[in-house]
Amino acid sequence: MNDPACESILIVDDDEINRAILSNIFESDYKILEAENGRVGLDLVIRHRDRICALLLDVVMPEMDGMEVLRQMHQQGLTQEIPVFMVTADPGATTIRDAYQHGVMDVISKPVVPYVVRRRVESVVELFRARRMLGAEVERQRDQLILQTQQLAEMGVGMVEALATAIEFRSDESGEHVRRIRDITTYLLSNSPLGEGLTEDEIQLIGVAAITHDVGKISIPDAILNKKGRLTPEEFEIMKSHTVKGAQLLSSIPQMRGHSAYHYAYDVALHHHERWDGRGYPDGLVGDQTPIWTQIVSLADVYDALISKRCYKDPFPTHVAMEMILGGQCGAFNPRLLEAFVQAEPVLAQLYQPSRGA
Amino acid sequence: MDERKRTCLEAAGVNVEDVLARFMNNEALMLKFLLRFPQDPNFQLLQEAMARQDLQGAYNAAHTLKGVAGNLSMTGLMAAVSTVVEDLRGGDMAAAADKLPHLAQQYRQTVEAVEAAAQLS
Repeated sequence: MNDPACESILIVDDDEINRAILSNIFESDYKILEAENGRVGLDLVIRHRDRICALLLDVVMPEMDGMEVLRQMHQQGLTQEIPVFMVTADPGATTIRDAYQHGVMDVISKPVVPYVVRRRVESVVELFRARRMLGAEVERQRDQLILQTQQLAEMGVGMVEALATAIEFRSDESGEHVRRIRDITTYLLSNSPLGEGLTEDEIQLIGVAAITHDVGKISIPDAILNKKGRLTPEEFEIMKSHTVKGAQLLSSIPQMRGHSAYHYAYDVALHHHERWDGRGYPDGLVGDQTPIWTQIVSLADVYDALISKRCYKDPFPTHVAMEMILGGQCGAFNPRLLEAFVQAEPVLAQLYQPSRGA
Repeated sequence: MDERKRTCLEAAGVNVEDVLARFMNNEALMLKFLLRFPQDPNFQLLQEAMARQDLQGAYNAAHTLKGVAGNLSMTGLMAAVSTVVEDLRGGDMAAAADKLPHLAQQYRQTVEAVEAAAQLS
């Protein structure tokens, strides 16, 4: 519905002289459509509604009179789009009142005075044109706002990802690790019963939360974080503190606290080392006291660690990793979670194909 | 416009300046409709409808004739036909019939002037 499209004036009158006079007034600036009765006129209105910028309508006509055309246009909401001008030889009080009740823009008496008709029609056409342009402008700005909001949100996630990747770098891991954990988590939530009750938006927010699960490692000294051998009990206590420190870190960033993913990110950072049997840390939560999405991140973290190379180990083949997880060598997990994971594992293993091939 | 033509039309009650303005000084377009006026059937239709006491038919014809006369600024004819239209609108055929001779005279004068003007071109 852009402007150049709206350029025609429709003249509906059964008298040829009237049509000729009106057409002569406007033909230098507009395309003219003509109809000699109301039925044909209404048909043209409906077929060319996007092109007609004004309708000049006689009242007394065969087939369908002008008042009926106006009534039907009003019923279909067309008088909001196309200004209608009644052109009548007998503008009686009843006619005028009926016309205004049915959304007429103006009533012009016949015989017409050209410069008056021109003025009255053109100011209204201008008004409608301005209104349409304003409407289009508001719509454009709204689209732009939506786009900018989206870009801001993406930027926010990008920053979070950058922070998490920077931290992973210290332990000699690439950004691939956090991204894979996010992908495994969102895949399981979207494609298994584990995600029941969550919307697509919520699943994406949990994906963001998965990215920041290990931010607390920023507080762990290099000597412990990258130690090749076994950690002493004291060192292990320090290592374990990355959960609480991570949650603290996230809660100390106001922008993060205001983020819709915060509620998930805080819990994931704090509880991704809890165990189904209650022997995890820091809180010793049992079973579903840990939310299912944090349980998923926790399993994804273990799986990814097993099949990736780390400073303290070589990568395991995926089938060995699965055996170790199912055999309980890497922690205790929710049976429902393990079942979904076994089902999804062939797809998840493919997340590793491109980087392996490289 | 030709001066003799103008005088001829104005003598029969046609306001030439006004009708030219209505056609935005498009003289050819104006003449096309003006010279076609003697062929307009509405006066004949009015007379016939009056003769058979057809109120609606008479009203329609008179109303249309009034529109044509108005558009062509035939002031004498316009004034005569307007009163007939009002009588017929009110359903008073007797009053309309009384005015018919005066209307007929105005009509003939106008037609003759137009035909005379046509000869002048």
